[in-house]
Amino acid sequence: MALISVRNVEKQYALGKTKAPALFGVDLEVADGERLCLMGPSGSGKSTLLNIIGCIDQASSGEVTIDGERTGTLSDAKLSSFRNRTMGFIFQSFNLVPVLSVFENVEYPLLLQKLPSKERRERVLELLAKVGLSDFAKRSPENLSGGQRQRVAIARALVGKPRLVIADEPTAALDHATGTSIMKLMVEMNESEGATLVFSTHDPAVSTYAKRVVRMMDGRIVADEVTA
Amino acid sequence: MRLVAMAWRNIFRQKRRTLVALSALIVGLCGLVIFQGYIGTMMKGFRDSIIMSGIGHIQVAGGEGYFEDGEFDPYAYAMRDSDQRIAAIAKEPGVQAAFPSTGFTSIAGIGDKSATLLVKGYPIDRMWFEPKSATGSSNDRPTGRFTLGKLKAGAQLAPGDRDRIVLGETAARILGAKVGDVITLMAVLPEGGLNGRDFTVAAIYASAGKDKMFAFTDYDSAVDFTGIAGAPVIHVLAKDIGSTDSIAAGLPKGASYRKWPQLATFFVQVNTMFSGFLAVIRAIILLITLFVLGNTMNRIVFERMREWGTLRALGTTKRDLLVLLVLEGSFLGLVGAALGIALGFALSALINLGPGLPFALAGQGAIFIKLHPDFSSLWINLVPAVLVAGIASYFPGRRAVALTPSECLRQL
Repeated sequence: MALISVRNVEKQYALGKTKAPALFGVDLEVADGERLCLMGPSGSGKSTLLNIIGCIDQASSGEVTIDGERTGTLSDAKLSSFRNRTMGFIFQSFNLVPVLSVFENVEYPLLLQKLPSKERRERVLELLAKVGLSDFAKRSPENLSGGQRQRVAIARALVGKPRLVIADEPTAALDHATGTSIMKLMVEMNESEGATLVFSTHDPAVSTYAKRVVRMMDGRIVADEVTA
Repeated sequence: MRLVAMAWRNIFRQKRRTLVALSALIVGLCGLVIFQGYIGTMMKGFRDSIIMSGIGHIQVAGGEGYFEDGEFDPYAYAMRDSDQRIAAIAKEPGVQAAFPSTGFTSIAGIGDKSATLLVKGYPIDRMWFEPKSATGSSNDRPTGRFTLGKLKAGAQLAPGDRDRIVLGETAARILGAKVGDVITLMAVLPEGGLNGRDFTVAAIYASAGKDKMFAFTDYDSAVDFTGIAGAPVIHVLAKDIGSTDSIAAGLPKGASYRKWPQLATFFVQVNTMFSGFLAVIRAIILLITLFVLGNTMNRIVFERMREWGTLRALGTTKRDLLVLLVLEGSFLGLVGAALGIALGFALSALINLGPGLPFALAGQGAIFIKLHPDFSSLWINLVPAVLVAGIASYFPGRRAVALTPSECLRQL
């Protein structure tokens, strides 16, 4: 069974009294452990689709099933818990919480899972070691470079052992060299942690890190290629 | 716990804005604390003045009716065993003094003039009139003695004085009496007969109260004149005002008594008025705080929209996000209130290093009083400020949680 199943999903944004369509009858299935890239120009609908898959937005119509759960029917509390336990997020502009230290940022999803303190600490330190930031645990995110911030975000996304990691343009705010190292790290983590990775980009070079590339245009999937 | 830590740290993210947002609360509460200290000292002085103006902390009477009309018919409530009662009360812990008083209504005559006069008799060592030169400060008053007015002419009654009166200024004016004049007092005795006796005017007193048609004499002369053995009322002075209740509890079962709040009704009314006044000022400060903090929290919510989106994406529920925002607002209120109160106490201490703040007394110029901010009122100022700040952040918070995480994340 597919980890992600998107069936005939449509999405319209309300703009005053008019509605702006963003997705038209999208169908997509993603298997467990896959590394999938959503590619397309700005406005093609890839972020909208990622948001719907990530349960941080609702489809206007259609059905989304993640890990066997029909996400459109869940209450806010259940959906929040489901996101926390099933998914990790990596954002274009890192989105670390500035009043929390690096350690606390990574620990945050585990606090919501109510894990014991010792277990949380071990897991956070393990992840920080994997992303090469063990020595930065007590620092404020504001004292880190862009690449280091994105590494913290990757550690935060993976700390809860999610089935699915969603990354929206993860390298867009980074220079080429840093972006490359971040993509390599994400691939490495995808392989070592076993989480399904779905990311979006408009950069063809970044899409080469995926095993499957889904191309979008004007709110529709126009191509779906297995690349490796 | 992490929400609490985040809310606390959030208030220090933009220190200058936090300070500006809290300025109304800080300045308002600082002023309120100083004003409370001023009013508190003033009311304490007023309370003590009223208690010592002839009331006492407790009055024990010869019957419940005394407290209704006893001043005009004291014979009806005379306690034959008043000396024994006084001796017993004086032994009670917390009692500074217990002493009797009596009184009678008389027709006073001098030459071709006459007036109705209410005469009250206290033991000479328990009555006192402020000298003409008095400043009005409570420090000038002797302890354990009622202050019955301010001398305008003449001298205090001295131990051993008999058949001498201190006359209220209105009575003196109506009668045309001067110090040294002899006034004939006539009173109807309990048995129905009429008694008359000459009293020498020892002094004339002024009073801000309604007792200008009174005259005071020594207790023994009053008892001798009326022929009634036993006092209709016993005044009890406590060593400190806090002992009033325990002294009252120790009185014999069935005794007719009143504690000072029941007797000093004017003080209670004035105190209630000032409490209401302070409550209105507090309400205005809180209302301003509500609007200023509400506006600040609105801006905070809007500026940190992406952060709310991130927290929601990571699994924070709408409820927890709202708790975070309300906690942040409440902490703002707590910090602002604490700073305002602390500043108020610090400024009060600074003012007290000098002469204090001026207080104008009618006809006596200004006196300076020290401020005594009331520590017990800390919570009255602190808790509403925290609650109002929490409410001020609740509604902006509701706006934040009404959006989906992706809508929050899309905000620039």
